[in-house]
Amino acid sequence: MTAEGSPAGSPAIRFDGTSVVYPNGVKGLDAVDLEVPRGELVVVVGLSGAGKSTLLRAVNGLVRITGGDVVVDGRSVRASHGAGLRDLRASVGMIFQDYRLVRRLSVLQNVLVGRVARVPTWRQLAGLWPKEDVALALDSLDRVGLADRAYVKAGQLSGGQQQRVGIARALAQKPAVILADEPVASLDPVTSRQVMDDLQRINRDLGITTLVNLHFLDLAKEYAERIIGLSQGRVVFDGAGAGVTADDFAEIYGRHPTAEDVLEAQVAL
Amino acid sequence: MNSIVNGMVNGRPVPPSRVRGRVLAAVALLLLAGLTAWSAAGIGVTLEVFLNASRIGRLVEESFPPAWNFWPRLVKPLLETVQIAILGTLFGGIAALPLAVLAARTVSPSRPLYWLSRNVMNVLRTMPDLFWAMLFASAVGFGPFAGSLALTVFTVAVVSKLTSESAESIDLKLTEAVRASGGNWLETVWFSVLPQVLPQYVSYVLYAFELNVRASTVLGLVGAGGIGMVLNTQRTTFQYARVTMIVLFIFAVVLAIEQLSAAARRRLV
Ligand SMILES: Nc1ncnc2c1ncn2[C@@H]1O[C@H](COP(=O)(O)OP(=O)(O)O)[C@@H](O)[C@H]1O
Ligand SMILES: [Mg+2]
Repeated sequence: MTAEGSPAGSPAIRFDGTSVVYPNGVKGLDAVDLEVPRGELVVVVGLSGAGKSTLLRAVNGLVRITGGDVVVDGRSVRASHGAGLRDLRASVGMIFQDYRLVRRLSVLQNVLVGRVARVPTWRQLAGLWPKEDVALALDSLDRVGLADRAYVKAGQLSGGQQQRVGIARALAQKPAVILADEPVASLDPVTSRQVMDDLQRINRDLGITTLVNLHFLDLAKEYAERIIGLSQGRVVFDGAGAGVTADDFAEIYGRHPTAEDVLEAQVAL
Repeated sequence: MNSIVNGMVNGRPVPPSRVRGRVLAAVALLLLAGLTAWSAAGIGVTLEVFLNASRIGRLVEESFPPAWNFWPRLVKPLLETVQIAILGTLFGGIAALPLAVLAARTVSPSRPLYWLSRNVMNVLRTMPDLFWAMLFASAVGFGPFAGSLALTVFTVAVVSKLTSESAESIDLKLTEAVRASGGNWLETVWFSVLPQVLPQYVSYVLYAFELNVRASTVLGLVGAGGIGMVLNTQRTTFQYARVTMIVLFIFAVVLAIEQLSAAARRRLV
């Protein structure tokens, strides 16, 4: 499982003076310039409302970019429409805080949703998924350790398992990029680590460029090769994950970290 | 001495005055009485008609006991009534689903399609089933086929309206997850909208079936075949004991079907 069609050399994602102004006038992103090289695992931190989700959603065009552009795998998001945009989205997997699985469908059917852009619609409606796609979906489930749950209803799994199904769905896309928007915010500390471990292993094994929004600072430091700090839609910090100090966080958050900003403090509760 | 503070007398709440309520009730009663008198005068109902009980008494006398031994001749017509209802429900139920999706504001693929399907839905609903029965009778001739076509339209009207309302209240986050994987409109509907509305849709179709069994009986009175037609023949030839038997038979079967269908619906939602 390697990324489909990645022109070598260019960065996986390039934000080019990207701005997002929502229809109600709120600025989500303010002229962001950023390059994410292939295979990097970047963690985005920032207060609630800083623009983390907007940054991720600009990459697959779920929000309308109103200034500048985002270039994914050499393709302009802003210039992509219709079939072109769907094709671009197919090369970008997304993982959500609330998993977003079809609870009444089986785990396998949920993972196959990752193949919608690559399989003819009539085959999907008829339930006639090609053998290779089913094999790929099972493979993806295997990567998150859930192959034995393939035929269970998604709604019957625990939160952590559902999130790993979400990861498998993204993997089934054979993506060049994975976006994870607060993937562990609904999970307990132990499960959070398991899910982050999965994301890290996939990033390392398959070389998929990964952008993760995280709230907890210690988790960010532990898993990030590189940390990007956002505040009011602007990049206010960009540095190696390991070297981040409390002062750096104070810079990003506009205050010093408290117990609420670290995962381990919750274990103590 | 009474101390009045915040509508309390000596620390106890004062009951609200009941004068207003009584005046309103009197006005409402007068209004109802007036409406009754006006309507009765309009359609020529007088006290005399009510007092003319001898005809009613004779009718009751002739209607009892029911012609029990008439039942074997009712089985086939009643089956036909149910078959008319089944066909109408199936055809209508199938046609209602795409119409409902197009007419759901948050799901519909385009404004013009939304507007068009909404209006189609409203026109279908405004016309009574008898009107459709007459219309199809002119087109394909009086009989069971015209009856099931009329019920098809009736079912589309009922089921599409209810289902489109359900589709408007689904969780659109799931829809976004399918779009993020590169899904087109149909794939998005298939994997996020339909799984969410399916239980309610099936329950609406069952509900329409209950209505259709009753409506199918009535359509028989105007020549659509089935038990209604037998009822009409016996009535016009003054076979009141048989009429009673038919009514009892219809009552039992309609009740049984309703109970079964309602039980199935309870299990669904
Ligand atoms: N759909 C939207 N419409 C209007 N404003 C929005 C919308 N989504 C987000 N915003 C606003 O944009 C800003 C950035 O939001 P977001 O990217 O969700 O931040 P974060 O993910 O860091 O919490 C916030 O002020 C938020 O209120
Ligand atoms: Mg967010």
